[in-house]
Amino acid sequence: MSGPGDLVIETRALTKRYGDSIVAVDDLDLGVRRGEVYGFLGPNGAGKTTTLRMLLGLVRPTSGRVAVLGAPPGAPQGLARIGAMVEAPAFYPYLSGRDNLRVLAGHAGVGEDRVDAVLDEVRLTDRAADRSRTYSLGMKQRLGVAAALLKDPELLILDEPTNGLDPAGMAEMRDFIRALGKGGRTVLLSSHLMGEVEQVTDRVGVIRDGVLVAEGTVEDLRGRAGLRVRAEPLPEAARLIRALPDVAEVTSVDGLLDVTVDTSRAPTINRLLVEAGIAVSELYAQKASLEHVFLELTKSGEDPS
Amino acid sequence: MTRNVTAELLVLRKRAATWILLGIWTLLGIFFAYVIPYALDPEDAPGGVEQFFPESLAGTLLAGFPFFGGVFALMLGVFALGSEYGWDTLKTLFTQRPGRLRVLAAKLAALAIVLVPFVLALFAAGAVTSYVIAQIEDAPISWPSAWLLVRAIAAGWLILAVWAALGVLLGVLTRGTSLAIGIGILYALVIEGLLSAFADSVTVLEPLTNVFLRANGYSLATALGASSQNIEANGPGSFSGPFVDSPQALAVLAAFIAAFAALSALLLRRRDVA
Repeated sequence: MSGPGDLVIETRALTKRYGDSIVAVDDLDLGVRRGEVYGFLGPNGAGKTTTLRMLLGLVRPTSGRVAVLGAPPGAPQGLARIGAMVEAPAFYPYLSGRDNLRVLAGHAGVGEDRVDAVLDEVRLTDRAADRSRTYSLGMKQRLGVAAALLKDPELLILDEPTNGLDPAGMAEMRDFIRALGKGGRTVLLSSHLMGEVEQVTDRVGVIRDGVLVAEGTVEDLRGRAGLRVRAEPLPEAARLIRALPDVAEVTSVDGLLDVTVDTSRAPTINRLLVEAGIAVSELYAQKASLEHVFLELTKSGEDPS
Repeated sequence: MTRNVTAELLVLRKRAATWILLGIWTLLGIFFAYVIPYALDPEDAPGGVEQFFPESLAGTLLAGFPFFGGVFALMLGVFALGSEYGWDTLKTLFTQRPGRLRVLAAKLAALAIVLVPFVLALFAAGAVTSYVIAQIEDAPISWPSAWLLVRAIAAGWLILAVWAALGVLLGVLTRGTSLAIGIGILYALVIEGLLSAFADSVTVLEPLTNVFLRANGYSLATALGASSQNIEANGPGSFSGPFVDSPQALAVLAAFIAAFAALSALLLRRRDVA
C-alpha cells in the first residue's frame, strides 16, 4: 500500500520519437507525488501532450519506463483510478451531455448515479439533456472535467483545462482544480499559462523541446527574493552594500542595483546608505515572476541552466 | 462486457445515421426487389411474377443482400469506428477502464445486434409488399416455411455482418469515414467485379474468385431460394458465378468476419491514438 509522498506517476528516461528526426519527448524523468497538484509547464509543442498521452497509454513510448499508480500505462487496473482530459474534450456531438457520460460510465464500469453527481459537481445539470454539440467551449471543458471525475479517481490528468475559457471561466476552473487538490486527489495539470499554474500547483516541472529543464516548487523556481535599490551615486551605493557580510551579489541593471540578500536586511541597507550621505529614492523586495523564469527556461536553443 | 455493449448500443441507437440508413435500406430494398421490377413487367422478371409472391420472399429479398445490402452494412461499420477518429472520441473511450480490445469487442457486438433490425425490417416490409402484390394478382397466399425464413434471416445477417466487419476494418485502417467508404465501395463495385471478369482468361485468378465476398454471399442467397438469373440481372451488383456450396460459403464468410475483426484489433491495439 502506498503512503503520502510516494510517486503516483514515475517516468524514467521516457522518450518518444516520430521517425528519425522528430524527438517529441527526450529522456524524461518525471515524478508526481501522491496528493500534490503538479504543474506541467511548457510552450506549445514542447511535448506536454505527448507525455500525457504516453502516461495514459494512448501513445506508445519509443523507450523508457512509465508507471502510473503502479501499473503500466493504459492497463485497465490503472485506468480505473485515473480521470483524464487530454487536449480539447471530445464527445459524441449528437448525444446529450448526460448520454455522453452514460456511455463513458458504461465503459468505465461505474454506476449511473455518478453521472448526475458529476454533472452537478461541474454545474451542468441544467443543460445535461441538450446535445453536446450545442455546448459552448466552456461547457465542453466542464463536461470534460465531469467525464474525468466519473470514476472518482485518485489521479486526475488535465491537459490545458482552461483553454478557450473566458476570464471568469478560467477563475472558476482554477478554483475547481484547487478544490480537487485539497480533496486529497493527485492532479497533474498541464498548461502554458503561468498564472494558472502559479496559483494552484504545489510543484512544477518545465519541459522544453521534450526535455525537462527544471522541476521544483514555484518558490524554488522563482528563486530567492532580493532587494532592488535606486540610489545616487549608484557606484558608491554598490560598494557599500557589497561590503556587508551577508550580501551574496550586487549587480547593476538599468540604473538599479539588484541585491541578492535576505529581504529582512532592507532597513540595515537603507540606514547604511542614508548615513553615508547617499540619496535612496527606491528600495523594495522583489522576486522573479514565474513567467519570467518560464520564458528564460524555455528560450529555444539556449542553455537552460 | 454487458455494460460496454449497452453503452455502444446507446451510441448507435441515438445516432441519426443509423436510422437514416435503416430507412433508406428498407425503402430501396423493397423498391429494387419488388416495386420497380413488378411495375416494369412482372411477367418478364427472371423468376416470373411468382418471384413477387410471399412464397418467394426469402430468395427475392436475399438476392439484394450481397451487394446492395453489403454497401449499407459497410457504411454502418465504417461509421461505428471511423467516426470515432473524426470526433476524437477514441481517446475519451480508451482512457476509461476497459482497454482497447474490449472497446472494439463491445462495438462489434453492438454492431452485430443493430444489424438484426436491418434484416428484420426488410423481411417485414418484403412480407407486406409480397402480400399486397399477391392480392393484386389474385394469387393464393402461401408463405415460406418458418425454418426457411429463419435460415434466410440468419444468412442475410451473416452477409451484412461480413460487410460491416470490413467497414470497421477500413474505418480503423484509414482513421476516418470518407476514404473508408470510398475504398469499400470501390472494392465491392470494381475490384471483385473486374477480377471476376478476368478470371475466365487468367486462370490464376479463378481460385481467388471463389473466396470473394460476393461469390460466397450470392451462393448463400441462391441456396435459400434466390434465382441466379435474378442475380445476374441485378444491375451494378450483378453476378454470374461461380457459385460455391453453402458450407463453404458459410465458412468463408465467417472466416472473413474473424479476419476483419482480428486485423482491426491488431491495428487498434498497436497504433498510437494521436
